[in-house]
Amino acid sequence: MIAIVDYGFGNVRSLSNALDFLGADTEITRDPEVFDAADRIVLPGVGAFGDAIKAIRDLGLEPALNRNALQTRKPMFGICLGMQLFAKSSTEHGGHQGLGWIDAVVDRIRPNDPEVKVPQVGWNTLEIRNSGWLFDGLPAKQNDVYFVHSYHMLCADPADLAAVTNHGGPVTAAISRGNLTATQFHPEKSQDNGLRILQNWLEHDFDA
Amino acid sequence: MLKKRIIPKFLVHNRRLVKGVRFHENWREAGNPVSTARVYDSYGVDELIFVDIDATPNGGIIDGSIIERVSEEVFMPFTVGGGVTKLEQIEKLLAQGADKVCLTTAALRDPGFVTRAAQRFGDQCIVVNIDYRETPEGRKVYAACGGEATDQSAYDWALRMEDAYAGEIMITSIDRDGTMSGYDLDLIHRLSDRLQKPLIASSGAGSLDHCKMALDAGASAITISSMFIFSDHSPIKVRSYLASNGTNVRSQTGSRS
Repeated sequence: MIAIVDYGFGNVRSLSNALDFLGADTEITRDPEVFDAADRIVLPGVGAFGDAIKAIRDLGLEPALNRNALQTRKPMFGICLGMQLFAKSSTEHGGHQGLGWIDAVVDRIRPNDPEVKVPQVGWNTLEIRNSGWLFDGLPAKQNDVYFVHSYHMLCADPADLAAVTNHGGPVTAAISRGNLTATQFHPEKSQDNGLRILQNWLEHDFDA
Repeated sequence: MLKKRIIPKFLVHNRRLVKGVRFHENWREAGNPVSTARVYDSYGVDELIFVDIDATPNGGIIDGSIIERVSEEVFMPFTVGGGVTKLEQIEKLLAQGADKVCLTTAALRDPGFVTRAAQRFGDQCIVVNIDYRETPEGRKVYAACGGEATDQSAYDWALRMEDAYAGEIMITSIDRDGTMSGYDLDLIHRLSDRLQKPLIASSGAGSLDHCKMALDAGASAITISSMFIFSDHSPIKVRSYLASNGTNVRSQTGSRS
């Protein structure tokens, strides 16, 4: 069973629709016992970093998320703001501490071209850096996925960077480190390419 | 590089899709929202927009069951609008599967609502739409589906809404709606030069060249309705025309095909 973490900041329905379409058994939940029982956990997220991390802490979810991510090392997938929460901190609206699973900071996209608009809204191409398994089967020249964001994650260790996209310079599109996988784009909203990425994650053997 | 977006826009009336001219003439039936969404998903369009045109006049919001059904059927971004005036309504629409909410009248009645919504849900999911008429005194903004004039200039209102933390600005010329006579290139050009946020150009699409001109004028996205519903131009045709004429669009050939 895949637990989809429901803390009031995610498009949990779209995500469960997409995972259900792929045949996964999903449960939308904020119950730490369900996190512990799940085979895998997805952390979605839409909104402001500070409010989201506060909600996770206020709902008492942080210890269970940490336990599953860091001790039992369960496969965890973060999406959009959910990905950003994996970082140590964010500069959004004054600065906040994240879950700290990935040595990274979240900072505003700073395009090197004044024509490039922020937020980045729309479809952009992936340049794959590491963890090619996540992108298996995507058409080489048509691997666009859907982004909606103003901030992105800057990883201290380049090995964590799975893919970037170009939006006035490189913008972090996906990361992968051990059992932790995350995308800044929305696979559940990226039509065939997104479904393929979700399926690759569902099928990936993290113990191998 | 970020692609220019092609967005079919649908008007919802009594749970069906309709399309008229200049917001009030010549209404025509345009199909079922869910099956239409599925068809456009298979064409690989970039997003969808649904606006309930009865909502503001009747004091309601768009029917959530439509959103839930669409979200079960298509795995692509979609925006919904019509009658939204409260944060709880936005929360509900997003929970039902919408990605963005479009505010028109509510932004005019209470500009602070745009800011509160952006702070609560993130600016990326708040689209402010501006309905306006092209009058001898300039482009004047209208509320309530074109039913209520204001003194606001469309240009100034767009800048003000950007300052209020709208994530995207959509401009809709009531005079061009359903006429298929071309987008308002002058306003697109001036606003996209000035705005930091993405500009969505709406109303007027009638030919492939109209689409290209609006995107070349600086729009990040264009909406198309009559042209898709009542002419033989499909999204695939629009995209291939744009791509072969040098506009940066997605080359996706379709979804789940």
